[in-house]
Amino acid sequence: MTAPVLEMREISKAFGNTRALDAFSISLEPGTIHALVGENGAGKSTLIKVMMGIHQPDAGSIVVDGREVTFRTTQEAQAAALAAIYQEPMVFPDLDVAENIFINHHARPAFVRWRALYDEASAVIKRLGVSVDPRRPAGSLTLAEQQTVEIARAISLDARVLIMDEPSASLSDHEVRRLFGIARALRAAGVAVLYISHRLEEVFEIADTVTVMRDGKHVSTRPIADITEERVVAEMVGRDMQGRFKRMPSAQTGDVLLRVEGLSRAGAFHDVSFTVRKGEILCFSGLVGAGRTDVALALFGIAPPDHGRIEIAGQPVTISSPAVAQRHGIAYVSEDRRKLGIAMAETVTANITLPMLDSYCGPLGLVDKRAESADADTFRERLDIRAADLNMPVGTLSGGNQQKVMLAKWLNTKPRLLLVDEPTRGIDIGAKAEVHRIIRDLAAQGVAIVIISSDLPEVLSLADRVIVMREGRFVGEFQGESATDESVMHLAVGAAGRGAA
Amino acid sequence: MRNTFMSRISPTSMRILALLFVLILTILFFSTQIENYLNARLFNRISTSVAIILLIAVGQSVVVLTRNIDLSVGSVVGFVAYFVGGVVGAFPEIPAILVPVLAIALGACFGAFNGFLVSRFNLPSIIVTLATLAIFRSILVEFTDGSSITTASLPDWLTEFARLNAFVVGNFRVRWMVVISIVVALVVHVFLTRFRAGRQFYAVGSNPEAARVAGINVGRTVMQAFVISGALAGLAGFMFLARFGNITIVAGLGLELKSVGAVVVGGVNIFGGSGSVIGVLIGASLIDLLETSLVRWALVSEFWRDAVLGMLILLAVVTDTFMSRRLLARPTAKAAAAKTAADNTAAPIAAPGARQAEGS
Repeated sequence: MTAPVLEMREISKAFGNTRALDAFSISLEPGTIHALVGENGAGKSTLIKVMMGIHQPDAGSIVVDGREVTFRTTQEAQAAALAAIYQEPMVFPDLDVAENIFINHHARPAFVRWRALYDEASAVIKRLGVSVDPRRPAGSLTLAEQQTVEIARAISLDARVLIMDEPSASLSDHEVRRLFGIARALRAAGVAVLYISHRLEEVFEIADTVTVMRDGKHVSTRPIADITEERVVAEMVGRDMQGRFKRMPSAQTGDVLLRVEGLSRAGAFHDVSFTVRKGEILCFSGLVGAGRTDVALALFGIAPPDHGRIEIAGQPVTISSPAVAQRHGIAYVSEDRRKLGIAMAETVTANITLPMLDSYCGPLGLVDKRAESADADTFRERLDIRAADLNMPVGTLSGGNQQKVMLAKWLNTKPRLLLVDEPTRGIDIGAKAEVHRIIRDLAAQGVAIVIISSDLPEVLSLADRVIVMREGRFVGEFQGESATDESVMHLAVGAAGRGAA
Repeated sequence: MRNTFMSRISPTSMRILALLFVLILTILFFSTQIENYLNARLFNRISTSVAIILLIAVGQSVVVLTRNIDLSVGSVVGFVAYFVGGVVGAFPEIPAILVPVLAIALGACFGAFNGFLVSRFNLPSIIVTLATLAIFRSILVEFTDGSSITTASLPDWLTEFARLNAFVVGNFRVRWMVVISIVVALVVHVFLTRFRAGRQFYAVGSNPEAARVAGINVGRTVMQAFVISGALAGLAGFMFLARFGNITIVAGLGLELKSVGAVVVGGVNIFGGSGSVIGVLIGASLIDLLETSLVRWALVSEFWRDAVLGMLILLAVVTDTFMSRRLLARPTAKAAAAKTAADNTAAPIAAPGARQAEGS
């Protein structure tokens, strides 16, 4: 048993009346991957912030190499060889890769020698077994590449503890593989990796040890071999959850609602044809960047197609803007909550009523506040949105509840066709199950649903039909049960699979 | 990969080349419109005037790089010019070198006040400096009681300094003011491009949240930017005093518009994170050249000068927006293609047979 490099002992931290951390303890040993799981709001983010010196604990102690320390700033945590990478990559889009890695590297001379900087950046990136040009601006990189840059920054600082907060949330399955390769290489080099993820499949694949936390408290820490997935889920939610990934096919499907023929947009997708029936759940699977979102954006009029036909309920339509799309009964729930989804600073009510604001206006064009709150309240009950007050800004809610607000906002438009992009990214298992239930209920009510998801278990549990995309083209289609992890994945990464069209 | 000239050149250098081109075009245009345009007097006049606006614009660009703005610079220039003029008038024996030092220190104090409010309380800089723009000016009015500084009250060395030549080539006189201003710009340029502390201004403006988690002291960096801006506005105030001698309570009015104009035209992103001092140097020259030339161009009333400056700023912003949209669209498409290619070659596929089938 090696001595732990970092110990958090009985850490408590409260914000107002909320106890985010309640005498929580965890210890990280060098050369291990330690998974931390817990529902959203369990206190994981607060823990990271305490570890990285962003918050100071109210009680408890932080011990590095057996010596008690205090971190008043991120700089002090970094000096103790702690580093963290976050769910949304924290890079500088205007600066190039090399600078992103070394921007605050105090061991380097104050004077920048660019040639040496690029050489060293290449060396660090190479150690991760990936290839990224150190001269490219970070803003032009994919999310996965940006994350690589962040890991490179941590390595260049000789981090002995690397905290990864939901690192796989925005990655495609293939990129997750590469991330695991990097994590294992770090473990082999003696780094203590704290791996935080909602995806239990991943945790069981990568971690040596798993710690479960709930409501800011430590629940259990065990070697991965001593615990099952069901047990972890039960400990996380504090109750047993039966059949969480069971397929429940929609009862019956009706007439064809959407028919798409030969749809193309240069540089995004090519010759895409499919139909969706009323009450059917169709899933688009594939790697991130395969053009799935672009198809949704075309159907919602954000980035209209160059060629092809779209028919809704048998009528040919031209969808030139989101307003037109809404008029045809189409709603699009974006994958990017912050950018295209909700106004974080606005209240829950205002977000829900926003797309339909006209219908709440009285004779003088004034908004009928009472009707607004009444409808928002209905959605709170229907979708079980947990907000103490519907007049709270959405930004103060947990990720899962933000996602529900976004769903409510679009359900309020009473869509016939609902496009949902990454419906459960970065939200916890409990909320995920609820979102799935909501989607199934909608299908049962006859709404045609198109889901884009990089989460394979999600696709397999929700879909009546799966279409796989690769490099902007449809490469295969599966009916419900015939889709499996392997068959979908093979098509998505470009290996010839069974059932290829 | 093709290594053509166009693909090798960075967007920043491209911007500077384009600006130089516009500058030359402008000179050529006015030389056909105005008789006896290209002469040494015009050069002398524009270079001294650019010297002052350049200092302010360089300080402004450092602030803009951090995703902030300093609208108070005009008032700082006016206050410093008046205050320093008053001090020199009252104590003529004061050692000459102390006078610009006093001006810089006073400006830095104003900058520190702005920076403190913005970084300590996380206030939007556009509001803070809009307020201090008015406050600093009002203090000046109160302090002066509405009276003016006159050239007669100033020691001779000060008024002569404005006409002191560093070197002369033919009829072209290059004043010390111009040399100092350009040296300051170059020093800031080297600091911003070659020192880690300088690069952190870019980092903070590019993504403040990322800067925080990378362990950069964001508040201190923003504070430094405002102090630099204030100090350079202070130095500009000293030069303003030397050049004009007569200082009234409206001294330096409108310099915030000109400095922001020079910064934006010079290619510094108004949302922070990118830009270069060399671009600002050309931007400041272009704006001043246009202004001076328009005064002498019979076809256009001089009341149109501000409108022309405004249009130039609009043009620069429109160009920037279109350019950055194109630049953003290109590399991402390339990146996506490269990524899928890499995915295909590197994918650890479980069934090797399937891979061969794809190849055949």
